[in-house]
Amino acid sequence: MNATGRPNWRRLNQEGIVFAIAILLFAAAALGLPGFLTADNLVAIVRSVSVLGILALGMAVVIIGRGIDLSAVAIMAMSVAWYLQLLNTGTSDGLAFAYVIAGVLAIGLLNGFLVAYADVPAIFVTLATGSFVFGYVRSQLITQDAVPVPQGHWVELLGGVRFLDIPIEVFVFAGLAFLVFLFLRYTKWGRFIYFAGDNPVAARNIGIPVRPMLVLRYALSAVVALIAGLLTAASLHSINTRVVNSTLLYDIVLVAVIGGIGLSGGRGGVRNVLVGAALIGILLNAMTIIDIPLLYQNLIKAAILLGAIIVDGIINPRDEQTAQQGDI
Amino acid sequence: MTFRERLQAWRYNLVPDHLVGEILTKRWTDNAIPFLALVATLGVFGSIIPGFFKLTSLQESTRQLGEFSLVVIGMTVVMLGGGIDLSVGSIFALSCFSAVYVFFILEQSIWLALAAALATGLVFGAINGYLVGYLRLRAFLTTLVTFIFGRALFDILVSSYAADIQLSQASSEVLDFIGDGTFWGLSVSVWLATILAIVTHIALTRSRLGWHVLAVGGSRRSAHNAGIRVRRTVFMTYVFSGFCSSIGGFLIACRLSGAGPGTGLNLEIMALTAAVVGGVSLGGGRGSVVKGLMGAIIVLTMTNGLIRLGYGTGTNQMVLGILLAVAVTIDIRWLKNRHKVLNEVYVAPVYLKMGETQSAAPGSGTSYELDNRLSAADHIGLGELEGPEDVILDRDDHLYCGTRHGEIVRFFAPDYVKSEVFAHIGGFPLGLAFDKEGNLISCVGAMGLYSVSPEREVKRLSAETSRSWTSIVDDARLRDPNDCDIAPDGRIYFTDSTKRYDAHDWALDSIENRATGRLLVYDPKDGSTKTLLDGYRYTNGVCMAHDGKSLFFAESWACRVHRYWLEGPRAGRAECVIRDMPGYPDNINRASDGNYWMAWLGMRTPSFDLSLRHPDMRKRMTRRLPQDEWLFPNINTGGVVKFNEKGGIVETLGDLSGNAHPMVTSMREHKGYLFVGGILNNRIGRYKIAGADPNWTGPTSYWGAKP
Amino acid sequence: MRLLRALIAAATALAVTAFAAPSFAADDPGPAAYAKALNGKRVMLVPLAMGFDLAQGWAHYLKKEVEAWGGTFETRDPNWVVDAGAQAITDAIASDTRPDVLIIHAPDLNSYSKLMKKAQAAGTYVLLVDNPANFPADAFVGSDWDKLGQLEAEAAIKGCGENSSKKIGLVQGDQANSSSLYQYAGIMKVLEKHPDFQVVAKPDSNWDATTSRNVTTTMLQQHPDICSIIDFWDGDATGASAAIRDAKLDGKVFLVTTGGGEKAADCDKLNDGTYGAVVMTDLARQSGDMNAIIKFLLQSGQPAGTSHTYIYTLEKATTKADLKPDSCWDLKALQAEAAAK
Repeated sequence: MNATGRPNWRRLNQEGIVFAIAILLFAAAALGLPGFLTADNLVAIVRSVSVLGILALGMAVVIIGRGIDLSAVAIMAMSVAWYLQLLNTGTSDGLAFAYVIAGVLAIGLLNGFLVAYADVPAIFVTLATGSFVFGYVRSQLITQDAVPVPQGHWVELLGGVRFLDIPIEVFVFAGLAFLVFLFLRYTKWGRFIYFAGDNPVAARNIGIPVRPMLVLRYALSAVVALIAGLLTAASLHSINTRVVNSTLLYDIVLVAVIGGIGLSGGRGGVRNVLVGAALIGILLNAMTIIDIPLLYQNLIKAAILLGAIIVDGIINPRDEQTAQQGDI
Repeated sequence: MTFRERLQAWRYNLVPDHLVGEILTKRWTDNAIPFLALVATLGVFGSIIPGFFKLTSLQESTRQLGEFSLVVIGMTVVMLGGGIDLSVGSIFALSCFSAVYVFFILEQSIWLALAAALATGLVFGAINGYLVGYLRLRAFLTTLVTFIFGRALFDILVSSYAADIQLSQASSEVLDFIGDGTFWGLSVSVWLATILAIVTHIALTRSRLGWHVLAVGGSRRSAHNAGIRVRRTVFMTYVFSGFCSSIGGFLIACRLSGAGPGTGLNLEIMALTAAVVGGVSLGGGRGSVVKGLMGAIIVLTMTNGLIRLGYGTGTNQMVLGILLAVAVTIDIRWLKNRHKVLNEVYVAPVYLKMGETQSAAPGSGTSYELDNRLSAADHIGLGELEGPEDVILDRDDHLYCGTRHGEIVRFFAPDYVKSEVFAHIGGFPLGLAFDKEGNLISCVGAMGLYSVSPEREVKRLSAETSRSWTSIVDDARLRDPNDCDIAPDGRIYFTDSTKRYDAHDWALDSIENRATGRLLVYDPKDGSTKTLLDGYRYTNGVCMAHDGKSLFFAESWACRVHRYWLEGPRAGRAECVIRDMPGYPDNINRASDGNYWMAWLGMRTPSFDLSLRHPDMRKRMTRRLPQDEWLFPNINTGGVVKFNEKGGIVETLGDLSGNAHPMVTSMREHKGYLFVGGILNNRIGRYKIAGADPNWTGPTSYWGAKP
Repeated sequence: MRLLRALIAAATALAVTAFAAPSFAADDPGPAAYAKALNGKRVMLVPLAMGFDLAQGWAHYLKKEVEAWGGTFETRDPNWVVDAGAQAITDAIASDTRPDVLIIHAPDLNSYSKLMKKAQAAGTYVLLVDNPANFPADAFVGSDWDKLGQLEAEAAIKGCGENSSKKIGLVQGDQANSSSLYQYAGIMKVLEKHPDFQVVAKPDSNWDATTSRNVTTTMLQQHPDICSIIDFWDGDATGASAAIRDAKLDGKVFLVTTGGGEKAADCDKLNDGTYGAVVMTDLARQSGDMNAIIKFLLQSGQPAGTSHTYIYTLEKATTKADLKPDSCWDLKALQAEAAAK
């Protein structure tokens, strides 16, 4: 509301719109759906989007720095699949984990290196490495689409860990969100990411180590993906590598971007990821309670997302003169 | 000549180093990397898979390629316009369903099914286009959402109608032909893809709409400011993409006679990969349909090839990932560094041993001996002019000269104080001449041969000559038209100094010293331009002999003047009349006493002469030293030389002070005065010639007394 | 002497020939005909993907047998992409090394129909495995999904017992795949006979374990008194079981699913109580059926597309109680065996 007492529509950005839709949905579901507004269900909502949210956090950091990481899902699934395969074939836990963390970091660094030093657009680099990671691990390192967690392994136990009856993923998601928030808001390098994302050339000119930071971001994103993968395996007691071919990747980008993080970089934060995750979580949960078939869920999800970006496009039209070139 | 020099001469004069640079300047070398990848992919799989190239095998295996190529063409156009269309898979699937629904469930004709498929694609594309183009939403996000929407819709439709489709008895010969038949050995889908690719290619490279797409992709803002309807153009690209995908969908409907939940799955990522592997850049502006097609063939050959070889899950993605990374990295590095490479290799100096020359030093006693007479010249337009390369006077004694700004400036007689811009042409007007009707003919550097009528109407006479078959650079274009003169029959003889460098890079041409200068003739009767002579080291000034039967032209970097016969027994042949001068000759003009004036733009130095015998050193120099430290012809001293019909040197004028006319590119005698111009000078000089005919003028000499 | 020796030798040779001749005549012509018909024939398997237990099991048993009779066995791995599978079949038909028998694991009822027709026209016998398609193949070998659904429903009813809430939840695959649709139909047939049992929710998992977990979690929250859940595939039933575990309803909810009878995927999980019952396909027997029909077709000499045989594999709902050491086959063991060669 501005001074004249009328709502200031100009100030309503995409984040606001999505948040409003999420609130509306939540209110409607709370009133209309029995069993929606129970503690258990609310925890379930958060839990259902926590892995998605964790991946979206990593993606958000990359996107704010004007990049994108399309290899996140491949790294998530394949690193853990390889880890479990190593365990199943008798490699010691420590060694297996060392291999995997080295592999994950190597891919993250490779992404970062190609983007930062070879000047290859991030979308291609990560598309390529994602494809490679999936292909290499699937064809050379593991024998089946799904790899089970060995009986009694810590990953399996991790899935059963509860505090106050709330599953571990929720805490990990909350903790990571808070850490990323602190990193982006209060650390020097966190602030630098915004500068580098907003105007890489200017950032470089004022002496910010733009390129090493780029590499760091992709490495970070890869490690976040590994964490997400371990949590997935923990709760399902196995990891199915077919997830790489699913629409999960699109969902991650959607969660990050629908909340208002611009793909052109420099804008957004953890709050936007949370808003995006909230919308998706509430939506899916409500539709599952109503027992809408998955196909229709996708249709409704897409329609609502489309509505959100159209409203944003109308309220905040892009200007030909100020729009960035190559911002797709 | 020592053995070392002989080796150098062979090495640098016989090995065509310059071709490498010339090839690199070609736009089509952009396609080199994807093309090599294509050849390698086809080669590898062709040799491993038995019968890969067998016609019947190709007929079948290219059906899918045709459909896929169609989708990639659409994606390429959208990407060229600066967008991205992730919904192609959904459009493909929905169009396939529309066709199947109309044909199998409604049991309508196949053509109606085609119409339904196309309508589906166009509507879906229009929705994308409206959202991205008119509402200016972000393409990636928007098409991602419409992709999910379309996919969900398709899945719902397929699951609802799957049973009905199976029960349908509809069949059609046309459908079977499109799905199974071949036409002249190729399947319908390949034909369609080929036709669409050709049409799209022509539209993109040769039509207004296509240029608009590329302009919007290249710089949306500039396109908007240039008045291009950006929104409509973007809209059209998505509609086109929808159209392409819908044809693809229709074809697969015919091929598989049905639609399944897997139709068009992952197509968007495949199409994107194909476009990228082919070298279409994301964010717009760079790429072509050909590149998209090459990418499509590479990706599909690889994917199907690996499956055919029986490799398991993952191998495909692994190889594809490596291919994508390597192709894109090389492509980007190549694009980024092509100019660097080009700069490195373009200059390819040749060996030349200049002849011994007489000294031009004051007091040396030779006929080339420079004196200080020109320092006494009056100045015209001092400080107003920039670069009057050539000067000329008309019958009314007005003085004309070209300037660096692309203008022809006129100074009014008698005092030449007042001036005006006579005409604006652009480029850099160099050589000037008046024709019989009083039109001012000018060689405009970087543009061509122009004519300015007394009414100041600018007309282009010629900008190109016929292309020679053996040249790699486009030598039809006139790169550096330098000086012209007009024969009694009205034909305009002019020089084009070099084929390899633009006018402002003349110093590089002097360092390379390759003989690519030409003498050309323009015939006003039929407007044709012909190349008369080729292979001189920087052809420069041209002057018709007094009798109009031959002409003199200067070969700057060889310090020679040649005579070219227009008629007589030696017609069409050139002979060298002055060789081994101490200065680099520029324009040549008639003198009132039956002799000829010739300008020296600079003087030979022993150091540069020596460097001409060391092409390797010159090559290193251009690569490793900054431009201002290069060794090139000394243009700080020059002069004016008078020579007679036989090529004998009569006298030499100079400015030893270096203040007024250190270098001279042109001089024109008029009523007892010599008007002196210099391409790097800021004035025109007027020098009173002792003993010259005070009534002699150029126009009279050429065209007789005033009619 | 020399003559004598030659005579004896000749006599011996004659005698041997005379005695041996009848035994040659009495020899079984079968092996020769068998070898003649089969030797050098090509068999190709195009499953949905090679990355899951069923496909690997089939490939193992088929390869063993085909190579034993001197044929060539190949697989193609479209990795769940229908277009890639279609192209693999197209290429196979058009290639120089056209297979004599094509074993197709169809992704849906329609997509490959036309290609299978083409294959038969080219002279290749088409064998459908496990998933039915809208096409009269030379033979269909696999599960009767309707029957399988009935078995699942019966197992679920039994698992719930008489004194339960009689609420059953379904986790379907999707709404498009024939295996999912027929399973659902089969379940409903049985439940019609048991009107006291009701299906309270039937979300889709899209064959994905994470989705299966999420929808099951929601289902259990809405209906904590569910007594049994039927998940349509053991590939994603791990998700449903995780949800049950999370809701601390282990042992209270009877989870029924279906699978290929692989040890780690099914028997181990039955053993540890993750699954209540698994309707298992007897993979070895199914592969045996395939081998038999392949041998028959190759010897029959009939043109492709002549016969339309349906061979349904015997399905059985297995619970922990009737688990036997040989109830399952072991993929690891098969792989070890293959690696040992």
